Amino acid sequence: MAKKLIELKNVTKSYDGAAVVNDINLYINENEFITLLGPSGCGKTTTLRMIGGFEKPDAGEIVLNGVVVNDVPPYERPINTVFQRYALFPHLNVYDNIAFGLRNQKVAKEEIAERVETALKLVSLPNFAKRKVTNLSGGQQQRVAIARAIVNKPKILLLDEPLAALDLKLRQSMQYELKEMQRKLGITFIYVTHDQEEALTMSDTIVVMKDGVIQQIGTPTGIYNEPNNRFVARFIGESNILDGIYVRQNLVRFMDVEFDCVDTQFADGEPVDVVIRPEDLDIIDPKGAKLIGVVSSSIFRGVHFELCVMVQGKEFVIHTYENRKVGENVGLRVDSYEIHLMKVEQGEH
Amino acid sequence: MNIKKLGRLALPYLVWMLVLVGIPLVMILVLSFMKTDGVSFTGATWSLEAWQEMFSVTDPTNLKILLDTFTFAIIATVICFAIGYPMAYIVARSPFSNKFVILVLTIIPMWSNSLLRNVALKNILSETNILDSLLSRVGMDFVIRFANQDQATFISIIVGLVLTYLPFMILPIYTVIEKIDESLLEASMDLGANPARTFLKVTFPLSMKGVTTGIIMVFLPCFSGFAIQKLLSRGTVYVLGSLIEANYIHDINFVSMLSIVILFLIFGSMMIVNKVDKEGATLV
Repeated sequence: MAKKLIELKNVTKSYDGAAVVNDINLYINENEFITLLGPSGCGKTTTLRMIGGFEKPDAGEIVLNGVVVNDVPPYERPINTVFQRYALFPHLNVYDNIAFGLRNQKVAKEEIAERVETALKLVSLPNFAKRKVTNLSGGQQQRVAIARAIVNKPKILLLDEPLAALDLKLRQSMQYELKEMQRKLGITFIYVTHDQEEALTMSDTIVVMKDGVIQQIGTPTGIYNEPNNRFVARFIGESNILDGIYVRQNLVRFMDVEFDCVDTQFADGEPVDVVIRPEDLDIIDPKGAKLIGVVSSSIFRGVHFELCVMVQGKEFVIHTYENRKVGENVGLRVDSYEIHLMKVEQGEH
Repeated sequence: MNIKKLGRLALPYLVWMLVLVGIPLVMILVLSFMKTDGVSFTGATWSLEAWQEMFSVTDPTNLKILLDTFTFAIIATVICFAIGYPMAYIVARSPFSNKFVILVLTIIPMWSNSLLRNVALKNILSETNILDSLLSRVGMDFVIRFANQDQATFISIIVGLVLTYLPFMILPIYTVIEKIDESLLEASMDLGANPARTFLKVTFPLSMKGVTTGIIMVFLPCFSGFAIQKLLSRGTVYVLGSLIEANYIHDINFVSMLSIVILFLIFGSMMIVNKVDKEGATLV
């Protein structure tokens, strides 16, 4: 059984009367890669800063290894951070930047040298020790920032959008490296990002946040396949969201047609939101199809084509490998297990 | 446009520098090694007289003046730093939204004439002063008493120099501290440095540039000026500047020599400060 390492209980934080983080509850296991995901202003960075000790929660408790740490300053927490803009010390060289934490702990000189060297190897920057940090590229600074944090062997590593400033290729390779590092070091990673792809690639657990409230906690596949509400469905990947009625068990009606489905937790006749991912819709012959529409646009996306199909005035987005001509009549098909139903929430739409 | 073409734009400036700075400096240097009748080369002869007068061991009056000048300037600079750094730090790190206003309040006195301010200071530091005559009407007295005249003179001069040049120390230090990225301090705390260590290892090294500028800005005028020293000592204390003032009409060679001495001493101090700063940037 995984051990709970850190727990947030009813944590609330407001600025100027506006709640940025609103009564969130969350626990993080040892050795977990957890991602706080949400649009900017959703409170994910504030949550991270509270875990790091840079902000104090207005209410609630942050429990680390069974001890409430609300009033413990950052320099006494076994937590290190990789800051968004790296925050490397410009007056120190790479070696001294990485050694900074160890020197604060009064580690012996020889051990510092050894550990810094290991850390530099781990981030694939050997022989960079004497370089000035101001002369490094963005990607290199990023690696130094990671080395500076992990060299202290923290229990938890906080990462605040560490890849945001890097270009796509570098970002993708860093994603793998970070995940690898986390596996090797056995450190709990708490990662903040607004990039859903990044979250899906790296995380063991994703926490989706919006307006300071947790929308859903789950594994990447769980969140992708079974979003809790419209916000999550829209934020994680693309989706077609339709109004529907849960007719009875295993039967749902939308677009005036009845479909088999596998969700069961609704009352008969209850309105539901229906989510169908673009890649789950298949294009078939219009004859005998439940949904018939006209292709209104087609865009080549590299691996697939992105088609828009108008069905009874409603636009469906479909990802398919075969192109169709604009204006063509097509039928749409979806398997029962690919129809996901969500409770309708007040104020959503 | 390439750099070379742009470089030509500097030509007028270079000519200007050569004519108005370079040549006069060489002239002063040459004059200090001559015996002339005013600024004229008629009947001029090479002579070390001026230098001998300055560095004479048998009559160390002038050497003593040099030492005094140094002492005043260094003590005033150290005190300016001791007051200015905490002040700049506190204001820069204060939660006020308009920190600059607070800073301006400390600078406003600078807008009045420094001589007038020091005349007022002289008055306040003497036994019959304006504050005392005002306060005596309500039965209080305000007299700062010194042990002896030498002490009075010394303290007055230091106070005068500090009050005059303090803003020059505060401003550059404030500017650099204000610019230090908050996230660097957070990073330091994150890496286990408590606030005191964060100050020592991050804030202070990063503010060295402002400190250097501040030290130069205070030390230079303290070392080369003479008006404040003259005023507050009622003419009893001589510094290098006063020697120049007293001699520039009748002994141009002596005065040239003094200028060269001041120039070299200032140059030397600046090199030392610069060196300290560079090491501060790499060692810590």
